[in-house]
Amino acid sequence: MTTELAANGKPFVHHHGAHCETAVTSALFRYQGVDISEPMIFGIGSGIFFGYLPFIKLVHLPVTAFRYKPGAVFHKAAKRLGGDFVIKTYRDPQKGMDELRQVLKTGQIVGLSTNLYWLPYVTERHRHNFNGHNIIVLREIEGGFRISDPTFGDPVDCPADGLEQARFVPGPLNPHGYMYYTKSVNPHPDLRGACIKGMKDSCSLMLRIPLPIFGVRGMRFLAKKIIKSPDKLGFQEACRHLAGTVRWVEETGTGGAGFRYMYAAFFHEAAGLFSSDELADLSKEMTAIGDNWREFSVTAARIIKQKDKAEETFAKAGGLILKCADREEAFFKKLQKVARQLKA
Amino acid sequence: MKAQKELTMELEDEIFNDGLPKAYYKHNDNGQYVLETNAPWAEKVSCALIIAGNRANLEEIRKAVLAGQKSPLCYHMEMRQMDPGMLAKAAGIAGFRVKRHLRPEIFAKLKLSVLNRYTKALRVTLEELKTVPNS
Repeated sequence: MTTELAANGKPFVHHHGAHCETAVTSALFRYQGVDISEPMIFGIGSGIFFGYLPFIKLVHLPVTAFRYKPGAVFHKAAKRLGGDFVIKTYRDPQKGMDELRQVLKTGQIVGLSTNLYWLPYVTERHRHNFNGHNIIVLREIEGGFRISDPTFGDPVDCPADGLEQARFVPGPLNPHGYMYYTKSVNPHPDLRGACIKGMKDSCSLMLRIPLPIFGVRGMRFLAKKIIKSPDKLGFQEACRHLAGTVRWVEETGTGGAGFRYMYAAFFHEAAGLFSSDELADLSKEMTAIGDNWREFSVTAARIIKQKDKAEETFAKAGGLILKCADREEAFFKKLQKVARQLKA
Repeated sequence: MKAQKELTMELEDEIFNDGLPKAYYKHNDNGQYVLETNAPWAEKVSCALIIAGNRANLEEIRKAVLAGQKSPLCYHMEMRQMDPGMLAKAAGIAGFRVKRHLRPEIFAKLKLSVLNRYTKALRVTLEELKTVPNS
């Protein structure tokens, strides 16, 4: 946690967060004086999700999404908390950068969507072609910008041309300089109502999408694929696919176990807000589900490292996901009932 | 076998000691959720595997280019983590043409206007696009 100054000298506190989008949204609200934590934004924006997208490939590996599509969490949370944001995209990079400078001069801090691959301070471990990485620009400095990237510990300096490259990438993964800043924020948002809306929305996303690749059904689909994968792809390739899945569970800014721990933290806070024991129980249950996902990734890592060959098999890894699916289905069915009884 | 094991351990350390730690939520003994920056072991293993795979893949392509089996375009495309479909959209050239341009004999005959489109899409200079690094 470090304090920085925005362009007009107003202090901005940089919090280390697990996920870019939720942490940026929470930082924008905090800057306007509404104290709201990252897990809270995640829960209110109905971030939790599951989707297995075998037809979209990043670096030859299929995408497994553990949260709803990029941008949606910000939109939903802003709407439910009564925040009014100016959202802009640009075709012309020069115009996009000029307007960014103008807005910064008025003392606003600005959220940006960038392509993770092109940000100059990102290292090889995080580098993949993903166009929805959110950062906050605090102020202009000589030859560049001061940036608070909440997924990393401290604010960083970024050269102007590097930022321009990251904002305007040719091709299908172009963020088009997507930029947002606050117009006005409700200083006393209706947190309880927003939480209930978020929970109900999450339930329908996880349980009611009638396609086999989303929600709980998607998990079962993925599990079956993993169990079959060594026969279909060969051991080496199956390992690579498994490693890709684990990367989506643990690495891509999920805060561990595919956002499940963060979601549990949301229920922990919500239980305090509603002073409800049921929500506290749900929080514990979600933590247990998170532990289950962690167990899956450890099993997967053991398969990759070829430890205990007889015990750690693809069937076991798939079985763990099936178990996760069953538990999450029960969890969200229970949440549906609990959320209905909560009063805003 | 042992040497290989040490190699992957080194790679894990190299990747995860680069100074930009991520945060992970953790449930501590007091029932609070706190952030910590220790990456889980499973993540280290799978990240190292994927990055090592990508590096080996890139190296293989580089050798194939030097041997005249693939065009330098293939190397630069792989370096930018793109596939032919993505590159086609980025450069504004039809997908089947991009795939043709991955063959060295066809790439050698390309006009400057087409090459310029690729340099813009891949953000490399013209000289870089025509060659691959030697090591």
